[in-house]
Amino acid sequence: MTTLTPVGTFAARVVDAFKVYGAGDAEVRALDGVTVGFPAARFTAIMGPSGSGKSTLMHCAAGLDTLSSGSAFIGSTDLGTLGDRDLTLLRRERIGFVFQSFNLVGTLTVAENITLPLDLAGTRPDTGWVDALIDVVGLGDRLLHRPRELSGGQQQRVAVARALAGRPDVVFADEPTGNLDSRSGAEVLNLLGRAVHEMGRTVVMVTHDPVAAAHADEVVFLADGRLVDRMTDPTAEKVLDRMKAFDGLAGAGAGRGTVS
Amino acid sequence: MSGARTSLRISLASLRAHKRRFAGTFLAVFLGVSFLAGTMVMGDTLKASFDTLFTDANRGTDAVVRSSDVITVPGGGQGTREPVDTALVQRIEAVPGVAAAAPNITGAGQLVGADGKAVGGKGPPTLAGNWIEDAQLNPYTLTGGRAPKVPGEVVINRGAARSGKLRIGDTTVLRTPDPVRVTIVGVAAFGGEDGMGQTTFTGLTRADAERYLTPKPGLASTIQVRAGPGVGQRELAERLAPVLPANVEAITGQQATDESLTMISGTFLKIFTSLLLVFAGIALLVATFSIHNTFAIVVAQRTRENALLRALGASRRQVLGSTLVESAVVAVVASTAGLLGGIGVAAGLQALFPVVGFPFPDGDLVIGVTALVLPFLVGLLVCTGSALLPAVRAGRTAPLAALRETAVDTSGASRNRAVLGTLAAVTGIALTVTGAAGTSDVWLTGGGSVLTLAAFVVLGPVASSYAVRLLGAPLARLRGVTGGLARRNALRSPKRTAATATALMIGVAVVSLFTVFGASLKATMDRTVSRSFAGDVAISAPVFGAGGSGLSPKLAPAVAALPQVRTAVGLGRGVAKVDGGGRALTVTDPAALATVLDLGTVDGSLTGLGADGIAVARDEADKHGWTTGSTASLVFTDGKRLPFTVAAVYERADLAGDYVITREAWAPHRVQDSDTLVAVAFKDGVSTGDGKGAVEKVAAEYGGPTVQTRAEYAKSSASAIDMMLTLVYALLALAVLIALLGIANTLTLAVHERTRELGLLRAVGQTRSQLRAMVRWESVLVAAFGTVGGLGLGAFLGWALVKATDSSGTSAFAVPPAQLAVVLLVGLVAGVLAGWRPARRAARLDVLRAIATE
Repeated sequence: MTTLTPVGTFAARVVDAFKVYGAGDAEVRALDGVTVGFPAARFTAIMGPSGSGKSTLMHCAAGLDTLSSGSAFIGSTDLGTLGDRDLTLLRRERIGFVFQSFNLVGTLTVAENITLPLDLAGTRPDTGWVDALIDVVGLGDRLLHRPRELSGGQQQRVAVARALAGRPDVVFADEPTGNLDSRSGAEVLNLLGRAVHEMGRTVVMVTHDPVAAAHADEVVFLADGRLVDRMTDPTAEKVLDRMKAFDGLAGAGAGRGTVS
Repeated sequence: MSGARTSLRISLASLRAHKRRFAGTFLAVFLGVSFLAGTMVMGDTLKASFDTLFTDANRGTDAVVRSSDVITVPGGGQGTREPVDTALVQRIEAVPGVAAAAPNITGAGQLVGADGKAVGGKGPPTLAGNWIEDAQLNPYTLTGGRAPKVPGEVVINRGAARSGKLRIGDTTVLRTPDPVRVTIVGVAAFGGEDGMGQTTFTGLTRADAERYLTPKPGLASTIQVRAGPGVGQRELAERLAPVLPANVEAITGQQATDESLTMISGTFLKIFTSLLLVFAGIALLVATFSIHNTFAIVVAQRTRENALLRALGASRRQVLGSTLVESAVVAVVASTAGLLGGIGVAAGLQALFPVVGFPFPDGDLVIGVTALVLPFLVGLLVCTGSALLPAVRAGRTAPLAALRETAVDTSGASRNRAVLGTLAAVTGIALTVTGAAGTSDVWLTGGGSVLTLAAFVVLGPVASSYAVRLLGAPLARLRGVTGGLARRNALRSPKRTAATATALMIGVAVVSLFTVFGASLKATMDRTVSRSFAGDVAISAPVFGAGGSGLSPKLAPAVAALPQVRTAVGLGRGVAKVDGGGRALTVTDPAALATVLDLGTVDGSLTGLGADGIAVARDEADKHGWTTGSTASLVFTDGKRLPFTVAAVYERADLAGDYVITREAWAPHRVQDSDTLVAVAFKDGVSTGDGKGAVEKVAAEYGGPTVQTRAEYAKSSASAIDMMLTLVYALLALAVLIALLGIANTLTLAVHERTRELGLLRAVGQTRSQLRAMVRWESVLVAAFGTVGGLGLGAFLGWALVKATDSSGTSAFAVPPAQLAVVLLVGLVAGVLAGWRPARRAARLDVLRAIATE
């Protein structure tokens, strides 16, 4: 299934990833032997129906959750070998996050939210880079505002800027447009696209929206905890068609799942 | 009906689901009610024990014959009576219906234990008296040995024998205060117990008692009378009246018991229990703030749930009701537990008091109905009352709020609050200052203080944002983003921060008030003593309580005879009535007094006062309109009015007292001679060390009373205040504990409320220790706000109290920086402790669950 790409070019990857919840009859395999790499300087979307394991895959790849078996790597670092503290440090130095519900700290200003991971690490932000980011997200006049004074789309742009502020190896975005109208959603997706193509970052995005997925360079499809397909240069139509076909397959897969 | 049931069901379900949230409320009510119930049970128990004690003391006595004139000095307990003539005994025995009569001679007598140290004397009386042969009239019963027969033989009570490790056959010393060699021939019990409470008793032969405890033979303190069969107490007293001379009365045994009981419960017990009740009140006040805060937060967090209920058709009343029911359930459970806790506290204190030397009799715990009902009601009222406002707010929840996300009340202080609070603060402070500094009006100061306190509470939310910004500024600089976040979190809901801190502020304010007041009292005493005491060393008898036997009047002459000593003056105490009021007299050698005490300006002369001269302090003389040469008439215990010529008027009464007379003038009225202080001045060229050593050698022969240099004497005079402060701190610890529980509870709720945010912080790279530190620093900030506010308020009110109670303008005001720094430190450390558990819980948070979308 995996494209044989040299290891060094993957910003993040998981190998033989299993994630099992519960035991016995109640056992649920959220990830059932997934091996996938997310190439550096590329925008990858993870798609799949609800319960396909796409969020679990992202959480495990990002070190927010641990695998039942298999390994997850950020660059060449094996996440399984790290304790909570090292994982935390890795997250703040090498990973950026964008979540569905904006997830800004309400007591901090826009500017402080953007530099939060850097401040937590106690490192001095690269002013040029941060200014450039703020320019790109277009919130230069809102830096001293609180998150609640911003619209949803603006808040999500702040979250993108925060994710990029520390020049992380990879940005994980979990349904970043899930709570936004289509125009605001498009702005955020364009922003993620520019981060990859103009700034050379790596973005991995979980979504169930074909329009969102079409902004990516590549889409990986997940069903029942397995990697079922990949698509390069996606368009909304192609993704939608694939998903439709996939619905039937998913139904069959679900039947198979109960048998196994 | 079914609506009410639904409310109840919702309340109970919510309580079950959020047990932890109410742990703080439960503890606050529990502790407050325990304290209150414990105090009341202990009060009842002590009263009952004293009742038993005095009833036992007068068990076989049907009538007491005594002098009818009594002189009571303010703070002097039962008062002083003239002795009665023992010749009356025969006359009384001749009255029909009298079975027996015996003179009762009672005085002070302190035993010396087997280890050479005095037995008792730290509070409870140390008594000596004649051993009454009539077994029914004598409250003591021999449990071993025999009654004293020849001079020098004594019976001692079992408690004294035990603590002094004295046995029958031992020879020891009884200080009356002159040392008397005695041989123990018997040990006695009192009503089956070791003694009358912790009181020690030494029974002497009647001849010995007359010799050592009365000025001359033929006198007794009282005569105890037992009635024959069929004669009631009242009847007996009536039959005795005709044979008694003027100024002598007969009261029934029951009356005597009642008098003792009224004296003890009217003064000592009342003060003691009132003091405890005041502190129970403070603890409950602090609890009110904590409980209110908990419910306010819970209601705010439940906005969406309540709104949903309202949207689904629940009435305001039902939503309000469910919150109130919740608080009532907590209140009932906590108050019930509190009652049990209170009984435990009372039992514990009862066991503890004898260990720390408190003069409390023991007996079964007495649990009155009031002691159960009142604390329970108070607990119920405090808890539901504190929940009332939040419940009303819950009832007002708009159904639309179900659709909104925010649940935290971030509203700051309103303009009205700021204006009203400032107005109240200005008025309160102005009243306090006027009452304290201007007119020394305690009521004005008290009213102003209450208003100031209220203003502080009202202004809390206004002040909290400024104060936290200010206090947190160094934190943000020193602790970086962690400190900055902690500061922002404390600033989030100014009302909540203020309410949390207010509880601590009140506790700390009362602590600082007492600290400042105590330090000022000490400074005042220190100043008075070091100003008024002009001698080199002071020999003093223990001053605490009624124990001990004072200093032998022979000590002063013995010390004066030392080659190193220039003057040694003994000061004793006498009593007389002046213009109808009892007054303490200082009995001494006035001529020598000026060499050891600094009396300030003296008009007239202190020499040659003789038997009818008196020296009076300036304030007292002014009150009565006397100058030198005026005549002051004094009435003594025998009812005789004697004229005294005012020979001198002096300025400083600190140590000399208001009235000074000679020993010669006091001699006809004395009962048992003793001095309370011997002031000693050395000859020129004698070093303090040498002189003190010589004096100590002489003092050792007189029971070894404490010999102190001027500085030591001044310091020890203030030591009673330290004892009081220790007690007060112990009592206030509870209020502070409740306040800290409040901080911990608020933080726990806040952590719960910020679950998603904390999860995000962890996701973007906040380490566990950074998260813990953030929560702890928030706790410290809230605690710092409360502590600093409390320190300021307490110091101000302490100043007001010192000034308001100081009518003569002689009190010192002292702010003890070290102690207050300790209070501040304790407040901050307590903040760290209060934040400990919430911080740990926050750090244990599962990142994934925290950030998972709903």
